[in-house]
Amino acid sequence: MISPPTCEPVIELRGVEKHYLMGDTLVKALHGVDLKIFPGDYISILGPSGCGKSTMLNILGCLDQPSIGQYFLDGLDVSKLSDDDLSQVRGKKLGFIFQSYNLIQQLTVVENIEVPLYYQGVSEKESREIAVDLATRVGLGKRLDHRPTELSGGQQQRVAIARALSNDPSVILADEATGNLDSKSGGDILEIFDRLNAEGKTLILITHDEGMSQRTSRTIRLKDGEIASDKRREGTVP
Amino acid sequence: MIRHPLLHEFSLFRLKRSVLLGIKSLWMHKLRSLLTAMGIVFGVCSVIAMLAIGEGASYEAQQQIKELGSQNVILRSVKATDATTAGEQERSLILEYGLTYRDISQIQATVPGVLVTIPAREVKDFIWNESRSIDSSTLGTVPWFPEMRNRAVLRGRFFTEVEMSSRAPVCVLSQSLARHLFPLSEPIGDTVRIQSSYFRVIGVIQDDPAAASSETEDKNRRSAATPGAAMEMLIPISTLEDHFGEVLFKYRSGSFEAEKVELHEVTVRIDEPDQVMPAAQAIRHILERNHKKVDYEMIVPLDLLRRAERTKQIFNIVLGSIAAISLLVGGIGIMNIMLATVTERTREIGIRRALGAKKKDIVVQFLIETVMLSGAGGLIGVALGLAIPLVITHFAEMVTIIEFWAPALAFSISVVTGVLFGIYPAFRAAGMNPVEALRHE
Repeated sequence: MISPPTCEPVIELRGVEKHYLMGDTLVKALHGVDLKIFPGDYISILGPSGCGKSTMLNILGCLDQPSIGQYFLDGLDVSKLSDDDLSQVRGKKLGFIFQSYNLIQQLTVVENIEVPLYYQGVSEKESREIAVDLATRVGLGKRLDHRPTELSGGQQQRVAIARALSNDPSVILADEATGNLDSKSGGDILEIFDRLNAEGKTLILITHDEGMSQRTSRTIRLKDGEIASDKRREGTVP
Repeated sequence: MIRHPLLHEFSLFRLKRSVLLGIKSLWMHKLRSLLTAMGIVFGVCSVIAMLAIGEGASYEAQQQIKELGSQNVILRSVKATDATTAGEQERSLILEYGLTYRDISQIQATVPGVLVTIPAREVKDFIWNESRSIDSSTLGTVPWFPEMRNRAVLRGRFFTEVEMSSRAPVCVLSQSLARHLFPLSEPIGDTVRIQSSYFRVIGVIQDDPAAASSETEDKNRRSAATPGAAMEMLIPISTLEDHFGEVLFKYRSGSFEAEKVELHEVTVRIDEPDQVMPAAQAIRHILERNHKKVDYEMIVPLDLLRRAERTKQIFNIVLGSIAAISLLVGGIGIMNIMLATVTERTREIGIRRALGAKKKDIVVQFLIETVMLSGAGGLIGVALGLAIPLVITHFAEMVTIIEFWAPALAFSISVVTGVLFGIYPAFRAAGMNPVEALRHE
């Protein structure tokens, strides 16, 4: 087991269970998950399909709420929040990166990066500055006004990363972020993740790719809705 | 409540961004957006155009009726339909029919509120100016005729009471007759001839506004007055009696006709507007008693006016229904497309929700898009609706009147339609589960 760090966890799950009703049968996607994630953690959550990875992502991402148990994000119990408050939490504290990039097709690179800022009510001028800066940081400074359809997969995913960073979130959640990319572009994306973690960002990568555990400082394996193992690599501190 | 200035700025900023976003989304599917808005375009355009045409038509009709004088009751002699078969008249070869001086004196004596009556007799024959002639009517009447019938003397003057009592051979031509007989020269001071009598022209009067309307109104009971529409000549009634006598002879292409009509036309002026209808009723009773055969006709301009107003009301109801139906159809079209759009953009909705959009934000986004669609349709419709009446006026020479409120009303209805039919798709979009929306292909 990992030694308990001294600082406050950014994410804490206490006895989280998630139940679905499929037809007449009750499916328990997660049962009794306890987890603490600390600021600066670089985590990969691994597991075969059907192990509850997606459910885990939805709950961690505040897209769904636990059936039983508590979820503290930055000390705030989000397991009982209203829909509006949950949206607010997502927009303020979380950054999402999806397997299929999920950019909005009718918007340009800069405008896509601005979307989370728009819902936070950041002024036009300020959000434009932030978006241009982030686009430049992910190497798309020359493609600010391109549409997603005019970009390669790797470029689109970099836009998505910039978008996830725009509201300066507490945690970045990446769901199979390299799943649709060739190894070269995938490698580029992972390098960006490494850099972000080095800058102190908390990243959670959800994946089925075993190779990822070599990169991240902490690996959580899920099996049948439970945490099978939780290992921190030697010499890494959150 | 004191509002923070930032808050105000903030909501305006959001609105502007939402509108820009809406434009982008609609612009992605230009043809679809255009076709969707088409229903509203036609609805709005037809409302404005039909209102303009309807207003114009009823304005024209009311203007004509008003020119007849809303306080007047006009009586005209007509040939009773069975007059020719009545034995006595046929034997004497003289048709005797129509209003009499007795009718007038009875009306004046018994109907309360009668101010003046204007008797008139008519002779139909060729009117000559040297070699130019026209088969037209000559009306013998009284000096206060123009005033009572709201007809302006355009040039010269009308004849006076002195001229009437002295039976002076003077005449006033209607505008169209003057134009026909004197195409190049000035008619006033010149003379015209009927049979062997000469009359000096002293004035030109406006055409009879009722001539055209009464002609179309009742073809079966054509009045004894002017079939030649507005062409007529006015002379003192006493002069007419002097020159043409009691029995009027007409020669028409070989045949011969004689009629004995005391008065062809009588205008009764009632002093109070609200007494017109009861007085008209009383006059009708008197005439019914005096004339066994219906050899007269009665025109009550006020009655016509009321009927015209009722017609206009019905027209407005029909118009309103058409407008409501077309806007309903347009609205349903918009709703249909917006529902399809919401399904198509399920994923976008999921992304936005994941990135912090509240349900309210999604509702606003789709509602703004719908309203912009219908509003744009409304604007195009207003433009077309303003242009069409101009084209109609230009080519069909119809009067069209665009009331200032018509485009405003039609446009606001289009916006309201957008809101009404946008609410359901917008709420459906907002009600989606973010997890499922994100997974949507």
